[in-house]
Amino acid sequence: MSSIQELTTKEKPQWCPGCGNFGLHMALKGALSELGIPKEKTVLVSGVGCSGKASHYINTYGFESLHGRSVTVASGVKLANHGLTVIAEGGDGDGYGIGSAHFLHSFRRNIDLTYIVHDNSIYGLTTGQASPTSQHGMKTKSTPHGNLEMQFNPLAVAIAAGGTFVARVFAGDMAHMKEVFKQALQHKGFALVDVLQPCVTFNKLNTFAWWQQRVYKLESAGHDPKNKAAAMEKAFEEMSSNYSKIPTGVFYKEERPTYVDESPQLASGPLIGHAVKSAEIEKAFEEFM
Amino acid sequence: MEFIWKIGGEAGMGIMASGLTMCKAFTRGGLSAVGYPEYPSLVRGGENTFQIRVGEDVHAPLKKNHLVVCLNRPTVDFHREQVYENGAIIYDSSATKIEPGEFGADKALLDVPLLRLATDNGGDVIMRNTVALGASIAFMGYDISLLEQVLAETFARKGQQVVDQNVKIARAGHDYMLHNYKAQMESFKFKIRKKSDSRKMVISGNEAIALGAAAGGLKLFSAYPMTPSSSIMHYIAQKELDFDIIMKQTEDEIAAVQYAIGANFAGVRAATATSGGGFSLMAESLGLSALSETPVTIFLAQRPGPSTCLPTWTEQADLKFALNASQGEFLRIVLAPGDMHECFHYAARALNLADKYQLPVILLSDKYLSETFFSCAKFDMGVKIERGKMITKDMKPLPLNARYKRYLITKDGISPRPIPGVIGGEHVSGSYEHFENGYSAETFSVRAAMVDKRMRKINSILKEDFEMPKLYGAEDAELTLICWGSHKGIALEAAKILNSEGMKVNVLHFVFLFPLDAKNLKKLFRKLNRTVMVENNRTSQLAGVLKEYAGFRPDFKLLKYDGRQFFPEEIASEVKKLKEKNWKGKKEIHVIDNLPYDYLQAGKVER
Repeated sequence: MSSIQELTTKEKPQWCPGCGNFGLHMALKGALSELGIPKEKTVLVSGVGCSGKASHYINTYGFESLHGRSVTVASGVKLANHGLTVIAEGGDGDGYGIGSAHFLHSFRRNIDLTYIVHDNSIYGLTTGQASPTSQHGMKTKSTPHGNLEMQFNPLAVAIAAGGTFVARVFAGDMAHMKEVFKQALQHKGFALVDVLQPCVTFNKLNTFAWWQQRVYKLESAGHDPKNKAAAMEKAFEEMSSNYSKIPTGVFYKEERPTYVDESPQLASGPLIGHAVKSAEIEKAFEEFM
Repeated sequence: MEFIWKIGGEAGMGIMASGLTMCKAFTRGGLSAVGYPEYPSLVRGGENTFQIRVGEDVHAPLKKNHLVVCLNRPTVDFHREQVYENGAIIYDSSATKIEPGEFGADKALLDVPLLRLATDNGGDVIMRNTVALGASIAFMGYDISLLEQVLAETFARKGQQVVDQNVKIARAGHDYMLHNYKAQMESFKFKIRKKSDSRKMVISGNEAIALGAAAGGLKLFSAYPMTPSSSIMHYIAQKELDFDIIMKQTEDEIAAVQYAIGANFAGVRAATATSGGGFSLMAESLGLSALSETPVTIFLAQRPGPSTCLPTWTEQADLKFALNASQGEFLRIVLAPGDMHECFHYAARALNLADKYQLPVILLSDKYLSETFFSCAKFDMGVKIERGKMITKDMKPLPLNARYKRYLITKDGISPRPIPGVIGGEHVSGSYEHFENGYSAETFSVRAAMVDKRMRKINSILKEDFEMPKLYGAEDAELTLICWGSHKGIALEAAKILNSEGMKVNVLHFVFLFPLDAKNLKKLFRKLNRTVMVENNRTSQLAGVLKEYAGFRPDFKLLKYDGRQFFPEEIASEVKKLKEKNWKGKKEIHVIDNLPYDYLQAGKVER
């Protein structure tokens, strides 16, 4: 197992002071450390954006993929070596915008990954354009007269698409965040954790205080994460309550065989150790005769 | 001894399966066959054909045929001008009307009740093909027992009853021909006979590529369907349990190449396959592979472009795209095999090169090479797997005192690459420019040093792995046909025609298309006499590349871009015309097939 200190690289984080990413990463490292997951057996794949830097600040194996493509590289890593703990990170623009096709199909595929989305409802690194989770009417650099589009609902989409672990946390509550990350890392299947966080520089609407006043925890409200219909209802509560109540915690959880579980080739162990089947290949030549 | 047989009908009539059965029957008789399918982009209707050229040593299809089986009317219309003088046509007048003399008085019109013989013998309508195969074999004088062998093995899994029925139906066609067309058979000059008992494969380029990749250690293959690359996916999917490979169909081509990059990062050999449209989507990830120095292999089966264009036809127009796709400047290796053995060998080799140099490798084929079937001796399994500077956990432990330098500046530009699981190798591989330890570097000197490091790999590639284009034929030839990839066999056949008519022609064929050894190429080009570039594109892309990298200009360019590959006789005929004009004619010749009736017309009511 690795301590939080061992999990921290010497690279100085380039995030803005007060950014929710600091707390998020502390919680993630805490979760990895408490679960005793060795750092050399962990791969963190990030996309591009402020969240993309995540793979630089954690002392595991890291891969900084392209914008919107953390889940895809992470899926390849996991299929190649399912003995590894694989985490994908990205932002709301990254995962719900440019990478939305991969987002959608990851749920039905159910490869055992933890997907953490830094959801601050804005494009931060490109200096403040509307993102898929920007509220309708929100003024940003790209929507100076107000956003004309509906806000994307990642949780409802995840549940509908066959998600087996769908959660949301608030970056201002580190203890809760760590607990949910731990559950996500232990979940066998594709686990989504949407992290609500302010962008202290570019999102003037969804500030720490704004979230703080609205979030509550599902576990203290008696929500049963096995109840899909209730989970769906909770996924819409943010909008149906006109942003007065925003639930956090595990919305939905189900046990379903993972993609690896259902691949007969992987029953004998991770693909990485498998030998070339030369005899079988030579035998196949005969079938062409 | 040479024979060209063809069968044509609607999509869904089983044209492809019949063609393959015949190819195998010929190959078992010690002959060499090329099975060439053509089909438009639709599932039912239209016009599908399968042509087999069979002889002692054949490498490409020719345009005309000796015997054509017409299962529908469009096949008649399409082939009116495509049957050799004194050739023959098999048809069933209950399904297809042919007017006497439609093909010319010299042709034998053989009305065979294909449907009736199939159903009378307990078969289904679809089995009219099998009747036609038996009838064809009788007419060309070939050995029916070879067809029976192939049918028996093909249907063995379905039980003896199915085998017996197929054999019986083939026999019915065979015997009908013997009893009813004896006179026509005797006056039919073209015959093909069994040479010897032989055990060779009948295989397509895509299958050879899939097998080569498997032999080369491929363990994960991720792809999205796109003609003409899909049969690589189909074959690997079919064999994934036997070969112990994960075949992952993804939501798009971006995911396909990304899964392969992720798996390679984790130390597992992975590749993808696509055609131009899918490769366009992969372009950004090609650069990711290059900058993060993560190996990836892409099998790119070309088809005509731009856009969706002609999905089931062929072209060699993505060479420059393969060389230049993705932003920025970076090294990649581009290979284009020219026959089945090369498809097998270079597919395995591509995986080795990707690992050794930690960069993207693109293997170019096209619809013609990928989907045409050739008789071919068994592949040599002596494939040596070389993983390059990959560090695995069973190797010497890494020091633990400092952050691992994944992008260590080395003399050859290649840095040792630990894979996840190796203690002390933790690092970040990434899409940003970086320091040696992988952290982002917006430092000019570091940026320049990293560009140089990555580019420096070219020296080792040229020294240790580059292969010069191969010269086939007499060294002192008066004329050299220069081609690449799929057009090897076609150019060789064209040279054969020209040489048989008194010229002295050889062929220079490129497999290694990038990087290129300019110095040795210049030396080689100086030794050539008159040169003719033969390319299946509009702009002579290889000529452009050779001019840029080796200062070479061919004397003539023969270009074809109508959706089909060159036929050998087209090349021969154009070269002869050039010679007749004393080499003073146009320097660039476009060869276009202006058919009075063509495939697309057959599938549609209106134009």
